[in-house]
Amino acid sequence: MSRSRLYTIVLLACSVGSIWLWIQNSQNVLTRAGETGTCLIKTITGVPCPSCGTTRSVFELLDGHLINSLQWNPMGIIVLLIMVTSPIWIFFDLLFKKESFLRFYGQAENHLKSKWIAIPAIGLVVINWIWNICKGL
Amino acid sequence: MELQKVDLFIMTNAKFFEAHHLGWIREQLIQMDDSKWPTLQMQQYKDPTTYIIVSLLGGSLGIDRFMLGDTGLGVGKLLTCGGLGIWTIIDWFMIMPATREKNMALFQGVLNYA
Repeated sequence: MSRSRLYTIVLLACSVGSIWLWIQNSQNVLTRAGETGTCLIKTITGVPCPSCGTTRSVFELLDGHLINSLQWNPMGIIVLLIMVTSPIWIFFDLLFKKESFLRFYGQAENHLKSKWIAIPAIGLVVINWIWNICKGL
Repeated sequence: MELQKVDLFIMTNAKFFEAHHLGWIREQLIQMDDSKWPTLQMQQYKDPTTYIIVSLLGGSLGIDRFMLGDTGLGVGKLLTCGGLGIWTIIDWFMIMPATREKNMALFQGVLNYA
Protein backbone atom coordinates (compact mmCIF):
# COMPACT_ATOMS: atom_id res chain seq x y z
CA MET A 1 0.00 0.00 0.00
CA SER A 2 1.29 3.44 -0.89
CA ARG A 3 2.09 6.06 1.76
CA SER A 4 -0.54 8.56 0.63
CA ARG A 5 -3.28 5.89 0.40
CA LEU A 6 -2.57 4.49 3.88
CA TYR A 7 -2.39 7.93 5.49
CA THR A 8 -5.64 9.00 3.77
CA ILE A 9 -7.47 5.87 4.94
CA VAL A 10 -6.21 6.17 8.54
CA LEU A 11 -6.96 9.90 8.79
CA LEU A 12 -10.39 9.41 7.23
CA ALA A 13 -11.18 6.53 9.61
CA CYS A 14 -10.02 8.56 12.63
CA SER A 15 -12.10 11.57 11.50
CA VAL A 16 -15.24 9.47 11.00
CA GLY A 17 -14.57 7.81 14.38
CA SER A 18 -14.26 11.20 16.10
CA ILE A 19 -17.47 12.49 14.48
CA TRP A 20 -19.19 9.27 15.52
CA LEU A 21 -18.04 9.71 19.13
CA TRP A 22 -19.16 13.35 19.10
CA ILE A 23 -22.63 12.39 17.79
CA GLN A 24 -22.94 9.55 20.29
CA ASN A 25 -21.78 11.80 23.14
CA SER A 26 -24.46 14.37 22.30
CA GLN A 27 -27.04 11.56 22.48
CA ASN A 28 -25.56 10.25 25.75
CA VAL A 29 -25.03 6.64 24.61
CA LEU A 30 -24.22 5.26 28.08
CA THR A 31 -27.63 6.03 29.51
CA ARG A 32 -29.40 4.16 26.74
CA ALA A 33 -29.45 0.37 26.37
CA GLY A 34 -26.62 0.64 23.87
CA GLU A 35 -28.75 0.20 20.77
CA THR A 36 -26.68 2.02 18.16
CA GLY A 37 -28.07 0.12 15.17
CA THR A 38 -24.86 0.36 13.13
CA CYS A 39 -23.64 -3.22 13.55
CA LEU A 40 -24.83 -5.27 10.57
CA ILE A 41 -24.39 -8.60 12.40
CA LYS A 42 -26.45 -7.44 15.40
CA THR A 43 -29.11 -5.80 13.24
CA ILE A 44 -29.57 -8.93 11.10
CA THR A 45 -29.06 -11.75 13.61
CA GLY A 46 -29.62 -10.09 16.98
CA VAL A 47 -26.29 -11.50 18.18
CA PRO A 48 -23.54 -8.97 19.04
CA CYS A 49 -20.31 -8.97 17.02
CA PRO A 50 -16.81 -9.13 18.61
CA SER A 51 -16.49 -5.33 18.58
CA CYS A 52 -19.96 -4.43 19.85
CA GLY A 53 -19.65 -2.19 22.92
CA THR A 54 -16.49 -0.49 21.68
CA THR A 55 -18.10 2.98 21.60
CA ARG A 56 -19.31 2.60 25.21
CA SER A 57 -15.89 1.26 26.19
CA VAL A 58 -14.18 4.32 24.65
CA PHE A 59 -16.56 6.66 26.52
CA GLU A 60 -15.83 4.92 29.84
CA LEU A 61 -12.10 5.17 29.14
CA LEU A 62 -12.40 8.88 28.33
CA ASP A 63 -14.16 9.31 31.70
CA GLY A 64 -11.24 7.51 33.35
CA HIS A 65 -13.16 4.31 34.24
CA LEU A 66 -10.69 1.65 33.08
CA ILE A 67 -12.47 -1.33 34.69
CA ASN A 68 -15.87 -0.33 33.25
CA SER A 69 -14.21 0.14 29.88
CA LEU A 70 -12.74 -3.38 30.02
CA GLN A 71 -16.12 -4.76 31.01
CA TRP A 72 -17.85 -3.18 28.01
CA ASN A 73 -15.22 -4.34 25.50
CA PRO A 74 -11.39 -4.53 25.82
CA MET A 75 -11.14 -3.60 22.12
CA GLY A 76 -12.14 -0.04 23.07
CA ILE A 77 -8.69 0.51 24.58
CA ILE A 78 -6.97 -0.54 21.33
CA VAL A 79 -9.34 1.63 19.26
CA LEU A 80 -8.77 4.72 21.43
CA LEU A 81 -5.00 4.13 21.40
CA ILE A 82 -5.01 3.97 17.57
CA MET A 83 -7.35 6.96 17.27
CA VAL A 84 -5.10 9.09 19.47
CA THR A 85 -1.62 8.04 18.34
CA SER A 86 -1.98 7.51 14.57
CA PRO A 87 -3.09 11.06 13.56
CA ILE A 88 -0.22 12.56 15.63
CA TRP A 89 2.26 10.08 14.13
CA ILE A 90 1.01 10.78 10.57
CA PHE A 91 1.12 14.54 11.22
CA PHE A 92 4.81 14.32 12.23
CA ASP A 93 5.55 12.07 9.24
CA LEU A 94 3.98 14.61 6.87
CA LEU A 95 5.73 17.49 8.61
CA PHE A 96 9.21 15.94 8.43
CA LYS A 97 8.56 14.07 5.12
CA LYS A 98 9.24 10.65 6.62
CA GLU A 99 7.64 7.22 6.21
CA SER A 100 7.95 5.85 9.75
CA PHE A 101 4.20 5.12 10.15
CA LEU A 102 4.11 3.29 6.81
CA ARG A 103 7.12 1.19 7.84
CA PHE A 104 5.55 0.44 11.23
CA TYR A 105 2.28 -0.55 9.51
CA GLY A 106 4.14 -2.94 7.17
CA GLN A 107 6.06 -4.52 10.04
CA ALA A 108 2.90 -4.86 12.16
CA GLU A 109 1.11 -6.56 9.22
CA ASN A 110 3.99 -9.03 8.79
CA HIS A 111 4.02 -9.84 12.53
CA LEU A 112 0.24 -10.36 12.56
CA LYS A 113 0.52 -12.76 9.61
CA SER A 114 2.87 -15.10 11.51
CA LYS A 115 0.96 -18.06 12.92
CA TRP A 116 2.42 -17.58 16.44
CA ILE A 117 0.63 -14.26 16.72
CA ALA A 118 -2.34 -14.83 14.39
CA ILE A 119 -3.67 -17.97 16.11
CA PRO A 120 -3.65 -16.54 19.70
CA ALA A 121 -5.12 -13.26 18.35
CA ILE A 122 -7.98 -15.12 16.64
CA GLY A 123 -8.49 -17.08 19.89
CA LEU A 124 -8.73 -13.85 21.90
CA VAL A 125 -11.22 -12.35 19.43
CA VAL A 126 -13.39 -15.50 19.64
CA ILE A 127 -13.24 -15.47 23.48
CA ASN A 128 -14.20 -11.77 23.44
CA TRP A 129 -17.06 -12.56 21.07
CA ILE A 130 -18.38 -15.32 23.37
CA TRP A 131 -18.07 -12.91 26.33
CA ASN A 132 -20.01 -10.25 24.35
CA ILE A 133 -22.79 -12.75 23.65
CA CYS A 134 -22.89 -13.79 27.33
CA LYS A 135 -23.06 -10.13 28.40
CA GLY A 136 -25.94 -9.63 25.97
CA LEU A 137 -24.57 -6.37 24.56
CA MET B 1 6.01 -16.39 -26.38
CA GLU B 2 3.81 -18.26 -28.87
CA LEU B 3 0.46 -16.64 -29.64
CA GLN B 4 -1.38 -19.89 -28.96
CA LYS B 5 -0.03 -20.06 -25.40
CA VAL B 6 -0.77 -16.39 -24.82
CA ASP B 7 -4.39 -16.74 -25.95
CA LEU B 8 -4.78 -19.89 -23.87
CA PHE B 9 -3.56 -17.99 -20.79
CA ILE B 10 -5.90 -15.06 -21.51
CA MET B 11 -8.91 -17.34 -22.04
CA THR B 12 -8.25 -19.34 -18.87
CA ASN B 13 -7.39 -16.43 -16.58
CA ALA B 14 -9.38 -13.45 -17.93
CA LYS B 15 -11.76 -13.44 -14.93
CA PHE B 16 -8.86 -12.88 -12.52
CA PHE B 17 -7.88 -9.52 -14.05
CA GLU B 18 -9.49 -6.18 -14.85
CA ALA B 19 -10.80 -6.06 -18.43
CA HIS B 20 -8.75 -2.96 -19.23
CA HIS B 21 -5.53 -4.75 -18.15
CA LEU B 22 -5.99 -7.70 -20.51
CA GLY B 23 -4.57 -5.91 -23.55
CA TRP B 24 -1.44 -4.93 -21.64
CA ILE B 25 -1.11 -8.47 -20.20
CA ARG B 26 -1.35 -9.93 -23.72
CA GLU B 27 1.39 -7.60 -24.99
CA GLN B 28 3.64 -8.47 -22.05
CA LEU B 29 3.08 -12.20 -22.57
CA ILE B 30 3.96 -11.98 -26.27
CA GLN B 31 7.24 -10.26 -25.38
CA MET B 32 7.90 -12.59 -22.44
CA ASP B 33 10.58 -15.26 -22.50
CA ASP B 34 9.35 -18.89 -22.78
CA SER B 35 11.34 -19.87 -19.67
CA LYS B 36 8.86 -17.96 -17.48
CA TRP B 37 5.85 -19.95 -18.74
CA PRO B 38 6.02 -22.73 -16.07
CA THR B 39 6.25 -20.12 -13.27
CA LEU B 40 3.31 -18.25 -14.76
CA GLN B 41 1.25 -21.44 -14.96
CA MET B 42 1.97 -22.29 -11.32
CA GLN B 43 0.59 -19.00 -9.95
CA GLN B 44 -2.49 -19.37 -7.77
CA TYR B 45 -4.69 -16.41 -8.66
CA LYS B 46 -7.41 -15.33 -6.24
CA ASP B 47 -10.97 -15.76 -7.51
CA PRO B 48 -12.96 -12.49 -7.20
CA THR B 49 -16.25 -14.45 -6.95
CA THR B 50 -15.05 -16.26 -3.83
CA TYR B 51 -14.07 -12.95 -2.27
CA ILE B 52 -17.44 -11.29 -2.92
CA ILE B 53 -19.17 -14.24 -1.20
CA VAL B 54 -16.78 -13.98 1.77
CA SER B 55 -17.31 -10.21 1.84
CA LEU B 56 -21.10 -10.59 1.91
CA LEU B 57 -20.97 -13.18 4.71
CA GLY B 58 -18.00 -12.11 6.83
CA GLY B 59 -17.28 -8.55 5.71
CA SER B 60 -18.30 -7.08 9.08
CA LEU B 61 -15.51 -9.06 10.73
CA GLY B 62 -12.96 -8.08 8.07
CA ILE B 63 -12.48 -11.72 6.97
CA ASP B 64 -12.43 -10.66 3.28
CA ARG B 65 -9.52 -8.27 3.90
CA PHE B 66 -7.62 -10.84 6.01
CA MET B 67 -7.96 -13.40 3.20
CA LEU B 68 -6.74 -10.88 0.65
CA GLY B 69 -3.59 -10.27 2.71
CA ASP B 70 -4.57 -6.75 3.81
CA THR B 71 -4.20 -7.65 7.49
CA GLY B 72 -4.08 -4.03 8.66
CA LEU B 73 -7.35 -3.15 6.94
CA GLY B 74 -8.86 -6.40 8.26
CA VAL B 75 -7.97 -5.43 11.84
CA GLY B 76 -9.46 -1.98 11.16
CA LYS B 77 -12.73 -3.51 10.02
CA LEU B 78 -12.82 -6.00 12.90
CA LEU B 79 -12.26 -3.33 15.56
CA THR B 80 -14.91 -0.96 14.22
CA CYS B 81 -17.89 -3.31 13.52
CA GLY B 82 -16.92 -3.22 9.84
CA GLY B 83 -16.30 0.53 9.86
CA LEU B 84 -19.73 1.18 11.48
CA GLY B 85 -21.26 -0.92 8.70
CA ILE B 86 -20.31 1.66 6.05
CA TRP B 87 -16.92 0.14 5.17
CA THR B 88 -18.56 -3.31 4.94
CA ILE B 89 -21.01 -2.04 2.32
CA ILE B 90 -18.28 -0.16 0.42
CA ASP B 91 -16.18 -3.36 0.37
CA TRP B 92 -19.05 -5.33 -1.21
CA PHE B 93 -18.32 -3.21 -4.28
CA MET B 94 -14.55 -2.76 -3.79
CA ILE B 95 -13.44 -6.30 -2.94
CA MET B 96 -13.62 -7.67 -6.51
CA PRO B 97 -11.48 -4.87 -8.03
CA ALA B 98 -9.11 -5.19 -5.03
CA THR B 99 -8.77 -8.95 -5.68
CA ARG B 100 -8.02 -8.31 -9.35
CA GLU B 101 -5.40 -5.70 -8.36
CA LYS B 102 -3.73 -8.32 -6.12
CA ASN B 103 -3.71 -10.77 -9.05
CA MET B 104 -2.17 -8.07 -11.23
CA ALA B 105 0.59 -7.55 -8.63
CA LEU B 106 1.18 -11.32 -8.62
CA PHE B 107 1.42 -11.33 -12.43
CA GLN B 108 3.84 -8.39 -12.41
CA GLY B 109 5.90 -10.27 -9.84
CA VAL B 110 6.35 -13.12 -12.35
CA LEU B 111 7.25 -10.65 -15.10
CA ASN B 112 9.93 -9.01 -12.97
CA TYR B 113 11.19 -12.37 -11.73
CA ALA B 114 14.66 -12.83 -13.18
